[in-house]
Amino acid sequence: MRRFWLVLLILPPLLALAVLPPFGQRLVTLIGIYALLGLGYQLVFGQLGALNLAQGALFGVGAYGAVLTIPSLGDASVLAAPLAAAAIAALVAGPILRLQSHYFALATLALAALVSLIAVNAESLTGGANGLTGFGSASAHGKLLMAVVWIVLIASVLTYARLFSGHLGEGARLLREAPLAAATLGIDGARWRFTAFVTGAAFAGFAGACSASLNGVVSPEVAGFPIMVMCLTSVVVGGVRHPMGAVLGAGLAVCLPELFRGLEAGWLLAYAAATLAVVLWAPQGLAGLIDQPPARAVPVLPEQFVPVRGAQRLTLDRVTKRFGGVDALSDVSLTIERGEVVGLIGPNGSGKTTLLNVISGLECADGGTIVLDGTHLERWPAHLIARTGLGRTFQTPVAEATRAAELARVLQRQPAFLLLDEPAAGAGEGERERLVLLLRKLRDAGHGVLIVDHDIELLAKACDRLVCLDRGVVVAVGRPGEVRQDPKVQASFLGLAA
Amino acid sequence: MAYALVALGFVLALNAAGAVNFAHGDLVVLGGAVAVVTGGWTGLPGPLLLPVVALVLGLAGVIAARVAILPLARRPPEATFVATIALAAIIEQGLTVTLGAAPRTVPAFAGSGAVDVAGFALGRQPLAIVGVGTVLVAAVWFLLERTQTGRRMRAVASDRYMARAVGIPVGRTVVLSLALAGALAGIAGFLLGHQFLVSPSQGGGHMLKAYIAVALGGWGSVPGAAAAALAIGVFETVLATWLGDAWASAVLYIVVLAVLAVRPSGLFGEPAGRRA
Repeated sequence: MRRFWLVLLILPPLLALAVLPPFGQRLVTLIGIYALLGLGYQLVFGQLGALNLAQGALFGVGAYGAVLTIPSLGDASVLAAPLAAAAIAALVAGPILRLQSHYFALATLALAALVSLIAVNAESLTGGANGLTGFGSASAHGKLLMAVVWIVLIASVLTYARLFSGHLGEGARLLREAPLAAATLGIDGARWRFTAFVTGAAFAGFAGACSASLNGVVSPEVAGFPIMVMCLTSVVVGGVRHPMGAVLGAGLAVCLPELFRGLEAGWLLAYAAATLAVVLWAPQGLAGLIDQPPARAVPVLPEQFVPVRGAQRLTLDRVTKRFGGVDALSDVSLTIERGEVVGLIGPNGSGKTTLLNVISGLECADGGTIVLDGTHLERWPAHLIARTGLGRTFQTPVAEATRAAELARVLQRQPAFLLLDEPAAGAGEGERERLVLLLRKLRDAGHGVLIVDHDIELLAKACDRLVCLDRGVVVAVGRPGEVRQDPKVQASFLGLAA
Repeated sequence: MAYALVALGFVLALNAAGAVNFAHGDLVVLGGAVAVVTGGWTGLPGPLLLPVVALVLGLAGVIAARVAILPLARRPPEATFVATIALAAIIEQGLTVTLGAAPRTVPAFAGSGAVDVAGFALGRQPLAIVGVGTVLVAAVWFLLERTQTGRRMRAVASDRYMARAVGIPVGRTVVLSLALAGALAGIAGFLLGHQFLVSPSQGGGHMLKAYIAVALGGWGSVPGAAAAALAIGVFETVLATWLGDAWASAVLYIVVLAVLAVRPSGLFGEPAGRRA
């Protein structure tokens, strides 16, 4: 993080302590509280791109949780609050984190509505619409509260900046933009989402507890949708992923209404309009405008290959996959040794990509076995298969640089076996030559390669063996010369009945 | 029945935009507010006020499409979510600033009082809601299923790239869908506003009901959404007389969470590749 941001982060509380009147200190504390709420939200919404609409409700859970536990726990209630919020998040995480984006938003919205209903209607617990008061003297307030909030905030922002500047940030980006590729690189998406969701909830709970201390009263508004909208808009305006995004957004959300007191609700209108403008023209937020995001390091293909270690043999035995009533793959058996390049050919729709998907675990086989040196993989999730030393690329019908980056991305992990899906699609003559050389180098380094492509000339030059699929069935296996002469192969490519 | 109109507009916007329109509930409220203002201004009777409201909200739908939906077509659906949430806040705060936060009564569509139908005393307004609602649902069904424009709207909904490839003006079709969605929302706001009043903060509730109806009725299915909205209306009314309003809503939310937990792709599933 640049020094400019560090100064901006540390300045408000110091300034508040030194020169601001109590009212100003109160505002600074409030900024800190909203920034903590937003920082937790950045984990889920910013990093993983999941529109969680329950963050405001979890803030409310924290506030009520802290107030209700003050009589029994005293000062420790500030810690009970994040635990309560995190526990609720962990409880619902199982079913709702599996949901697709729009259902995830709906489920979190329903959860938030439920929390809000409880706050208003469970009068014996929450005091109903009047809320709970009279705990003020028992909890931290004034300068102490401000110090606690800002120390936690500064530590969290620095940790966040550190964590997401490296591998973790790359992993999150991959998970957000290409979840399938992330899985085939060994990233466990479910665990990431769970961790982010529960940690984000803990931040919301802590922020809620602090807001209860600050206000000396907890009422249903603390769990209401306006808090959620404030959190969402401030994070978007500040910058959804930038470490200072939440702080910047919270600062604006707290200071603007004070500056434009005369305008009453007008400032909310202006803030909503600003949010829309940021979404349209500055997706990285204000912090992103100030700090242009660093150019992404594009992985580069290595010149030299070091010999790889790992499993020796990948064996498929009678693998079957059905889509509805169609047999996409039926009884496909083949073996790939390390140090061998095998080409997979066949007309469009013959099941080549499906076979790669089944091997890499993106689709589950309906029958048959996939064995890597005695380990059965056919029921494993994709990220675990990737960790056994299996890497794959996806079709990228674009520029050479992208195709090379796709290959390099997979090679970085040094997988024993590589599954390449049409690495030469759309490539020119020179690039094809380089690909043949690369495949030879990979073989010499001891990789086992299964490559799908339509260019039989290229495969004939680079492969030890060819396998021909037609309508999900292996019709020929053997040396490139033999397979090319096989009448069944010729028939399948010419569209004749085999 | 008015819920069905809300849900119908919501699902049209959803299909056209490929993402949830969080401002839809606020368009409903805006419809009620427009009815309040123009009704008080001109003193037009209900049946004449209706097309005025529909026209104004149709325009609002066009603006929503131009501002928050079309520019984000190439970005992930979350961008549209946030943009429409911002739009919702703009409408809500705009109404608060201009009309104040207090609830207002919308003029009745068909006069107050009751009519006697086969020995039952039925309120004029509820009857009007059912009547107008039925006609509009039928009209939307006819538009989508029996006209070229409707076919284009469905084509854009199912695959906008393919639709563009076969020469359908995608942008214009999206705008048209949103205009229609806005008009339906406005009419629903007008009809609901007499009985339930209009206040700027109601938008979220309308949107949530429509969202639930779409999730339960099959994502993107127009008749499914209308049917589910009717079912939700009946469910809430019955449960509210039995357990009270708060419990009725609570049970509804719990049912939604339970359905999503058991069927992660909605009650009736959804066609692959249609996720937004």
